[in-house]
Amino acid sequence: MSQEGTGAGGAASAPVVSFENVTKCYGKLRAVDGLSLELRAGETVALLGPNGAGKSTSLDMLLALRKPTRGRIRMFGSDSYHAVKSGRVGAMLQSGGLMPEVTVRELITLVAGFHQRPLPVQQTLRRAGIAGIADQRVDKLSGGQTQRVRFALAIVGECDLLVLDEPTTALDVESRQMFWANMKTEVAEGRTLLFATHYLEEADQAADRILVINKGRLLADGTPAEIKQRAGAKRISFRLDRVDEAFLLGLPALVNLEIRHDLVQIQSSDSDRTLYALLDAGYRPREIEVSSLGLEQAFLAITAEDNGENAPARPGSAEAMETIR
Amino acid sequence: MNGTTAMTPARGTRSMLGTREVRGTLALSRLEMLRVLRNKQYLIFTLAFPVVFYLAIGKQARGVSVYGVPFAAFYMVAMATWSALSGALNGNAQRISQERKDGWIRQLRLTSLPASGYVAAKVIASMVTTVPSIVIVLALGHFYGGVHMAGWKWAVVGAAAWLGAMTFAALAVAIGYKFLPDRAQPLALLVYFGMSILGGLWFPLSGVLGTIGKALPTYQVTRIGAGVLAAGSVSVTAVAVILAWLAGFVVLAALAVRSTAEKV
Repeated sequence: MSQEGTGAGGAASAPVVSFENVTKCYGKLRAVDGLSLELRAGETVALLGPNGAGKSTSLDMLLALRKPTRGRIRMFGSDSYHAVKSGRVGAMLQSGGLMPEVTVRELITLVAGFHQRPLPVQQTLRRAGIAGIADQRVDKLSGGQTQRVRFALAIVGECDLLVLDEPTTALDVESRQMFWANMKTEVAEGRTLLFATHYLEEADQAADRILVINKGRLLADGTPAEIKQRAGAKRISFRLDRVDEAFLLGLPALVNLEIRHDLVQIQSSDSDRTLYALLDAGYRPREIEVSSLGLEQAFLAITAEDNGENAPARPGSAEAMETIR
Repeated sequence: MNGTTAMTPARGTRSMLGTREVRGTLALSRLEMLRVLRNKQYLIFTLAFPVVFYLAIGKQARGVSVYGVPFAAFYMVAMATWSALSGALNGNAQRISQERKDGWIRQLRLTSLPASGYVAAKVIASMVTTVPSIVIVLALGHFYGGVHMAGWKWAVVGAAAWLGAMTFAALAVAIGYKFLPDRAQPLALLVYFGMSILGGLWFPLSGVLGTIGKALPTYQVTRIGAGVLAAGSVSVTAVAVILAWLAGFVVLAALAVRSTAEKV
C-alpha cells in the first residue's frame, strides 16, 4: 500500500505534481505569476501566503477547476483533469459545498460510489470523526461538523495525493489537534499531502516542506527550519543612547532593522557576527536580548520584503496577525 | 497493484461513459429524486395544487367546451401540464443556482463523476418525479371528471405533458446556471406564472393575450391533449413548437453551463 504513491504515474521519476511557469490572469490582475514547483511522492507540503497571494487559484488550477493562462500543470505525469477524474486525488476545498436535504451517510455513500477505489463507508465516517452524526441531515450540521464532512469526501477512496485548502478553519483547538493526529495516519500510508493554511504553527508542525507564495510568486521553498533561517534566524534587541542608523544598516548578516527611540531591533541571519561587529565598533549597548524567530515572524519578514516594506509589522502585534489572515 | 493504478487513468479517458460513470450518474439521480420526494414544495406545488384546482373547478363549467373538448377534459390536460411545469421548473432552477453558489457542483467536479453527470441527474430526477403527478391528474380526470378515451390517447396526453416537463427541465438548468439564487428564484417564478397564465392552463385566454399565449409550449401541450381527445390526431404544429422551445432551452442551458465552466 505504501508503495503506491512512489510507483504511480507510469514513470517512477515523475513528480506527483509539477507547475511549469504557470500564470493565471483575471483581466489585468495576475493572480499567479510564473509559478514553478514540484511535489515529490510522500511529501507533506504546506502552502503559505497572505490573502490574495494566489493560493486558492493555484489549488483550483491544480484540480482542473480553472485553466492556467500560460504554463503547464502535470499530475502523476498526466494532465490534471484526468488525474482528478481517475480518482488519484482527494481534495477538500474551502469553496466546496455539500448536497443539502440528504443525510451524511447518504452523501458519503454517493461520493464513494463515484470512486474507483472506494473505502468502506463506515471506515470513512470513522476516520473523519463523523460516525456519530451519520444519520443527521447535511444542512443541519454545525460549521465544524460540515468541515469534517468535507474532509470525509476527500478521503472516501484510496488516493495518492490529498489536497486540502485550509482544512482546519472552523474547527476548535481540540478538533484541530485531532485532525492533525488523524492526518498523520493518512500520510503514513505513503500519500502525498498538499495543504494551504493560515495557521503558521500548523505548517511548522505538520509539514516537511513549506512553500511561501505572495502576489502569485514563489518566495521561499524549504523545510520549516530553512524558511526561518532564510528570513533571518535570530532577533537581537538592545538599547543604545546615540543611534547611528546608517552604521547599523551596514552591520553584517542584517536582514531587518527597526528603531524606536533608543530601542533597536535587528533580524539577523547570523546573530554572532552582527553582534561582534557592533561591539568591535566600540558600541556598548544595554539590555541585549537574542531570541529565535518563529515561523510566523519569518513568514512576515519574507512577505514584507517582497511587498517592498522596509520594516515588517511587529511580530505578535494585531496588524501582524491581520496581514497573515 | 502498481500496474493497475498506472493503467486506470488511461482507461478512464477512453470511455467517459463506462459503467461506473453511468452507475454514478444514476446513483446521483436516485438521491436527487429522494430529495424531491422529501421536499414539501414538491408535495404542495406539484402534487397537491393541480389536484385541488381540478377538484374545485374541473366540474364547474358543464356544457362548456374548450379547444373542442368538454371543460372537464380540457382542465385535466391543463392541470397535468401545470404539474409538469411546476415539477420540472420551480424547485430545480433555484436548487441548481444555490448548489452552484454553495460549491456543491465544484465538489462534484473533484470526483470521478463525468462532467455532465450533475445536469443529467437533475433532468432524470425531474423526468421521473413528474410522472406520478401527471398520472394522478389523469386518473382524477378519468374517475372524477368522467373523461373517457382509448388507451393510446391517454398515453399520448401523458407523453405530451411529459415532453413539456423535459422542456422546462432544460430551462431550469439554463436559469440555475446563468443566475445567482437571488435572481434565479424570482425569474423562475415569473416564467412559471407567465407560462401558466398566458399558456391558458388556469383558464383559456382569448384576444391579444390568447394570441401571444399560442406561442408558448404550455399552450401547445394542452392543444396536443385536446386534439387527441377531439379528433384523435396529434397536431404537428404543436409538436414542432414544443420541440423548438426544447431546442432553444437546451442551447441556452448548454451556453450557461459552458460560460460558468471556470466560475463553478
